[in-house]
Amino acid sequence: MSTQKPFNSFEMAQEQFDRVADMLSVDTPTRDLLRWPLREYSFAIPVRLDDGSTRVFRGFRVQHNDARGPSKGGIRFHPLETLDMVRALAMWMTWKCAVVDIPLGGAKGGIVCDPHDLSQHEQERLCRGFVRQIAKNVGPVTDVPAPDVMTSAQHMLWMLDEFETIHGVKAPGFITGKPVGMGGSLGRKEATGFGLVFTLRGALKELGLRPQDTRASVQGFGNVAQYAIELYQQIGGTVVAVSSWDQQDQTAYTFRRVQGVDLAELRGITDRFGGIDKDKARDGGYDVLPGDAWLEQEVEILLPAALEHQIHADNVARVRPTVKIVAEGANGPTGPVADQVLKQRGVFLIPDLLANAGGVTCSYFEQVQSNMNYFWEKDEVLGKLDRKMTAAFLAVSELARKENLYMRDAAYVIAVSRVAEACRERGWI
Amino acid sequence: MPAARAGPASIPAFDRQFFASADLCTRMGTGAVGGKAQGLLDARAVIAALSLDPAWRIAVGIPRMIVVTTSVFDEFMALNGLGDLAESGLEDERIAYAFTRASLPAEWLGDFRAIVEEVRQPLAVRSSSLLEDALHRPFAGVYATKMIPNDQPDADARFQRLMEAVKFVYASTFFAEARRYRRAAAVGREEKMAVLIQEVIGGRHDERFYPTVSGVAKSYNFYPVGTARREDGVVHLALGLGKTIVDGGRCWVYAPTRPGVTPPYATVGELLDGVQREFWAVRMGAPPVFDPTTEDEFLVHASLDDAEYDGTLPLVASTYDPGSDRLYPGIGRTGPRAVDFAPVLKLRKLRLNDVVQDLLGRCARAFDAPIEIEFAVATGHGGDGEARLGFLQVRPMVRSDVAVEVTDAEWSAGTLVARSDRALGNGVDTTITDVVYVRPDRFAARDTQRIAVELRAVNDALVAAGRPYVLIGFGRWGSSDPWLGIPVAWADIAGARVIVEATLPAMDVEASQGAHFFHNLSAFQVSYLSVHHDAAPGIAWEWLDALPAVAETDHVRHVRSRAALVAKVDGRTGRGGIWRPAAGGDEGET
Repeated sequence: MSTQKPFNSFEMAQEQFDRVADMLSVDTPTRDLLRWPLREYSFAIPVRLDDGSTRVFRGFRVQHNDARGPSKGGIRFHPLETLDMVRALAMWMTWKCAVVDIPLGGAKGGIVCDPHDLSQHEQERLCRGFVRQIAKNVGPVTDVPAPDVMTSAQHMLWMLDEFETIHGVKAPGFITGKPVGMGGSLGRKEATGFGLVFTLRGALKELGLRPQDTRASVQGFGNVAQYAIELYQQIGGTVVAVSSWDQQDQTAYTFRRVQGVDLAELRGITDRFGGIDKDKARDGGYDVLPGDAWLEQEVEILLPAALEHQIHADNVARVRPTVKIVAEGANGPTGPVADQVLKQRGVFLIPDLLANAGGVTCSYFEQVQSNMNYFWEKDEVLGKLDRKMTAAFLAVSELARKENLYMRDAAYVIAVSRVAEACRERGWI
Repeated sequence: MPAARAGPASIPAFDRQFFASADLCTRMGTGAVGGKAQGLLDARAVIAALSLDPAWRIAVGIPRMIVVTTSVFDEFMALNGLGDLAESGLEDERIAYAFTRASLPAEWLGDFRAIVEEVRQPLAVRSSSLLEDALHRPFAGVYATKMIPNDQPDADARFQRLMEAVKFVYASTFFAEARRYRRAAAVGREEKMAVLIQEVIGGRHDERFYPTVSGVAKSYNFYPVGTARREDGVVHLALGLGKTIVDGGRCWVYAPTRPGVTPPYATVGELLDGVQREFWAVRMGAPPVFDPTTEDEFLVHASLDDAEYDGTLPLVASTYDPGSDRLYPGIGRTGPRAVDFAPVLKLRKLRLNDVVQDLLGRCARAFDAPIEIEFAVATGHGGDGEARLGFLQVRPMVRSDVAVEVTDAEWSAGTLVARSDRALGNGVDTTITDVVYVRPDRFAARDTQRIAVELRAVNDALVAAGRPYVLIGFGRWGSSDPWLGIPVAWADIAGARVIVEATLPAMDVEASQGAHFFHNLSAFQVSYLSVHHDAAPGIAWEWLDALPAVAETDHVRHVRSRAALVAKVDGRTGRGGIWRPAAGGDEGET
């Protein structure tokens, strides 16, 4: 029988925090406050199924810290959801909002379920049931949910409708990720991918590289990856490889074309899950390689924009010496060992909490617009996004340079300091 | 053109620390900078070489500028799929609306936002077209320039206005006038637009922002007055924004070699009637009616009383003394004001003319061609303190170098249809058979706007058929004031190869002054004859009326001669005329 302790995300998040707290010499009360969520809600959600039976689901909402403003974070549907997972994600949201300097705290929610097993009506009742349990503890000025793993704009609308029914008000600012025209923001779908490239552009400038002299390899071909590729190509870069998940073969493939992939062409042969048709790709002149081949391409930039823990101890040696920048589009794509290796090799890392913060920044914009019930032009949304992301990148890179810190550490230092400072100023500690 | 041209690559990329940056000119994108921006880049060396007497207390410079190169325009068109709409021939307003609804490429939005966050003064968003540069031909006034106040407290509002202005300038590439202009110029090549964003030179006076003096100076004069020579050049000055001059409004015209010479007004009363009475300014403060699809959304037309209140009049005006029937420079006494720039030109309170002469000479040498420059001057209240001259534009003037002579025999020949000793242009044309003329018996000043519409239809038909023509009408062509002439846009008459500006007793005005209009004449090498109704021989109306009409409207008659007319202008002497075909060929087409 194995004695190895199972991986616990929350413990990892706490360890990350402890390390930064040590660097900052944070006092004990502040540590005690920030190592744990401020509030946690764990509740049962009874749902009447279509066959007339009732099933009870487990739901969580964790508000890690709201010293800087209303807490913000998605709601996940996942069969293996745990309270610890939600706690860790809530804590990361606190840091992410702080590093891009938006006036929000961090939260996360989850329901233990697999939506694939539920009909639309059952999902609607589940969403409404979730809101009924938590309606008094969330809201546009307290805690603002958003879509996350396996939740969509439709789920958000059901939740909004239930919230408004309970409170007898119209409150579009209660939730973000709504469809455009129903309180959603223009630019939302581009936000995370574009935000990633805004920070990448900053890194290129800092390293004195011209985008047109760089090549990138991208893991993933979902929403984030597609828009990141679009903007990266627009600024002159060449994407030579893209990996995507093949639903039919239940494995990933890397699609490579050394002279550069054609985004429109790939979008044209992609299914709704983001899977690229490998036969058509081969006909189009792409090399179809194993799923992890994206990692070992001779490029200057790696953009992991799919899943967590993709560059790890076992494969980090395959990263080519040409690689100068890793920009983390996904959450936690680089394991701790790989992180150290990249650091020693002098690779410029744009850490996830900064690189993929475009999504939450745009969610913040949506919240602001919804609270005003006045919606901006796309130019305005994306212009502000650029300014926010670029300013955040410059703050992190400047600190990293000044204090000789690794970019990930610098981002955490900025985030934790800002939150600790807010707690102090409020007189909490 | 200067030997070493500054290409886009030599311009540093836009820096978000706009004012902290030492670079006066930066760029967004990697495409071409267009004609207007290229002119300014080429002029940088000329400006740098200026060494003015410090006692003149006038600083000369090109205002800080950002060039949004044509690659951004390309991205914008592709991103929004606007190609089909742009070529659809929709009305201007619909095109402008569609463009202002479209999104600019995300890559550049942060930079535009940085501009409005850094800069709080009015901005001029100017067109700088690729073809202007490629053809060395200025498309003067064809594309839009939009001024925005950029003073709203909210950065979002300023950003929105800037975005609308840039998209409006993009849209103007496809406005009807621009399309007709390109067609008339037989330009089959694709047009692309760069945009120049510059600070507006001027000062804020309550809700108005404007320069004390705007000017257009040319190193070659098409209409020399009195003893002035064509080579002396000509300067147009106006109070407020230069729109007054380029639109052909009332302004002060003089030769830089003779700054003290008053234009030939018969009496002081006539002068008072003929000088500038209103001026253009950028409207600050309370937002006007929201209309992003118009060029002058943020402009305001103000009176001389406003200028006096603002303290801008002392440097530009004189005061009329009825007792002595004289004008006295300045506004030290009571009486009607006349914007004659006497304090600057006669008393030399500001050594503007010296600077302009110097600039004209240097630019003409650098470009190795006659040139035209635009500038604006900001001064302190009441004209005190150091003045700042912003150099806004330089463009070459196109002029034919062929030696043409109108002999004495030709000058007095019986076959003359019209002649002028103040003709403009240079060259001979023996291909024209069509004449379009405004009927003198049906002409009335109140109908000029209708006449403009009728002329446009005839012009479009002739351009479509590829037939050049002679155009004859009354008053100032292209006047913005319909009581002073026929208010056509250049594109409305762009197919004319020879234009006759005639007068009638009821429409007896000085010759055209619109700078853009004359620039186009020059650029397209159109011959221009100015004929007074008292001149002898006058226009051969009987001969024209005897020709059968190809088309006839209420005020306009289009006739065709069987054989080609002869049109000839001697650019050195200013003699020009149109002659009937040789005998036997003039019965007209039946």
